Amino acid sequence: MTKPKVGFFGVTGCAGDLLNVLNCEDQLLDLVDLVDIREFLMASSEGDHEVMLDVAFIEGCVVSQRDEDVVKAVRQRTRLLVALGTCAMWGGVPTLDRLHDRGALLQQVYGDFGRTIDTRPAQALDEIVKVDFGLPGCPIEKHEFLAAVANLLNGNLPQLPHYPVCAECRFAENRCLLGQDGALCLGPLTIAGCDARCPSLGVACNGCRGPAPDANFESAATLYQSMGYTRAQVERAMATFAPLPGAVH
Amino acid sequence: MSTRIVVDHLARVEGHGGITVELDGRQVQAVRFDVFEGARLIEGLIGGRHWTEVAQIVSRICSICSSSHALTSIKATEAAFGLMVSPQTLRLRDLLNRGENIESHALHLFLLAAPDYLEYPSAIHLAADNPDAVKLGLRLKRLGNSIQEVIGGRCIHPVNCVVGGFASMPTTDRLLQLRQDLLQGVADAQAAVAIVAGLPPVSCGRVDTIFAALDPGATYGYYDGDQIVVRSARGDTRVAAADYRSLTAESTVAHSHAKHSSWQGSPFMTGALARVTIHGHLLDEGSARVRARLGLGVPTGDPLQNNLAQAVELEYDIRYTLALVEQLLQDGLRPEPPLRPQVRAGHGTGVTEPPRGLLVHSYTYDAQGFIREADIITPTAMNAAMLERHMRGAVAVSDPENEPELKRRLEMVARAYDPCISCSVHLVRL
Ligand code: SF4
Ligand code: SF4
Repeated sequence: MTKPKVGFFGVTGCAGDLLNVLNCEDQLLDLVDLVDIREFLMASSEGDHEVMLDVAFIEGCVVSQRDEDVVKAVRQRTRLLVALGTCAMWGGVPTLDRLHDRGALLQQVYGDFGRTIDTRPAQALDEIVKVDFGLPGCPIEKHEFLAAVANLLNGNLPQLPHYPVCAECRFAENRCLLGQDGALCLGPLTIAGCDARCPSLGVACNGCRGPAPDANFESAATLYQSMGYTRAQVERAMATFAPLPGAVH
Repeated sequence: MSTRIVVDHLARVEGHGGITVELDGRQVQAVRFDVFEGARLIEGLIGGRHWTEVAQIVSRICSICSSSHALTSIKATEAAFGLMVSPQTLRLRDLLNRGENIESHALHLFLLAAPDYLEYPSAIHLAADNPDAVKLGLRLKRLGNSIQEVIGGRCIHPVNCVVGGFASMPTTDRLLQLRQDLLQGVADAQAAVAIVAGLPPVSCGRVDTIFAALDPGATYGYYDGDQIVVRSARGDTRVAAADYRSLTAESTVAHSHAKHSSWQGSPFMTGALARVTIHGHLLDEGSARVRARLGLGVPTGDPLQNNLAQAVELEYDIRYTLALVEQLLQDGLRPEPPLRPQVRAGHGTGVTEPPRGLLVHSYTYDAQGFIREADIITPTAMNAAMLERHMRGAVAVSDPENEPELKRRLEMVARAYDPCISCSVHLVRL
């Protein structure tokens, strides 16, 4: 059997999802045996920029023409495109720009020079090209990445949980930070898969994996407001890793 | 005749950047380190955010130094509110920082830099001929990650370190496991030093260098301290953390989203080599032997020596961390809920030493504890101007006709700085 050809790419992000691939220290050398990695700039200076790929993984969001060009070029040469991490799948932290005046932010951070750089409002990959599958997480969970690779090798598309972080929290018999401590915990709105990492340590979930299917933002917002948080604070919190439904540039 | 040497897209670094050199015969016209990373404007995006949310958002600036970004942010917020944390918290933060330093140095030395010296395109290719070296590097890297997982709750973008302390204490079981891993790590670190010492020498030139590092007090480390020491041929100057701007008089440069820093008009270098140069006397006997074995003499104007300085720190930090974990096991960890600050309007600045050098977070809060303004200056931004000088130095000792060799040297210099490009673009207002 010929090994599937894969590529790892990054547009604008923190490299955390690509790093978490390299963080699979115990599996990395096996992974290299099972798939034929044709491009992984963060790890190798040898890359094959032409060959047709079976699977391309892309980390990061699109905030420039350059990013858009990269994403479109990768789409053209791959059978399957996987959005790697929350930025790629939902837009991530950079899409917080929808709550601000981006021109003013550019001026604030770069001064007049800000007007000359190739930059634009942040977008998720599926706003630019067709994405076949997304792995959420900021960063991705290593076990989910490895399971996804195993599924893809068997010709299946991986499955994501359809329930929120709260379900994992209940399973772990954690104390409920929202119900018992009045914390602004986004567990009810956030897609599971991290084993309720934060609430298990006593930290409120800030939604880093993005929205769960069927997440009801409006009723959650009403609940948080009834607990004493302002509307603005609730909206900012809910929009930290993925734009709220209907939020435009 | 003028020629242009271009490294389009630098591989084996974190983020997207390139190198351009313009030559007129042997005369260097221009050397540029270009940053292509998109503008995420993170300091702007935390405007209006509550003090409880800030560290988690800013850690997303960079994955490799995410523990440092979170801790530096927390340090700045605690300074703004005048909150003093417990000695136990300081120990755990020290441990988290060392975990990051171990992971980052192991990643850099074995997966990113070593392939250069041995002329392989990647550690994956290197593993085909020398699997043991690569496996060793991966084990050391995993050790750094395990420390961050046990203390920080996640090896990238840690969640357990918060303003006022830690949300949860690591369990004794996990500390015992960590101790086991560290014992193996001590042996691995010796083997790592032997490998680094055996790398074939490459010369990329020497340039007089000014160094800057945080004064960690009595113990060689990365978290504590609020004074920066600048060492030049004229001697040492101390700069208080709150006056960091005198060290980073920045200017935006047209070819890059990054801004260049300088101290009294001169570029400077920060990172492992700067730390060992300025604070090497705080290291112990064991480190002195490692330095001798590696042939690291400081001060030096050779940028590749930064790789050796990383190896010195890697070896020291593993032994230090083992002792610290044993101490924690002996003393036991008290349950200690994070301290709540007295929220008030004000400024706070935090400076720490991530793997790549000085990192500054400086915040202004309003009376309700929401961010009004934020400045973040990263080591890669501080290093950018000096990196260009060192690349000029590499051109000076190279044959301009031999383009592959010249490119290799330029890349090795850039990689020796271990640039973290996602970091470099999030810079202060002018
Ligand atoms: S999703 Fe998170 S870890 Fe991945 S690139 Fe974005 S900020 Fe980094
Ligand atoms: S609990 Fe929430 S914030 Fe924490 S890792 Fe899971 S999804 Fe992310």
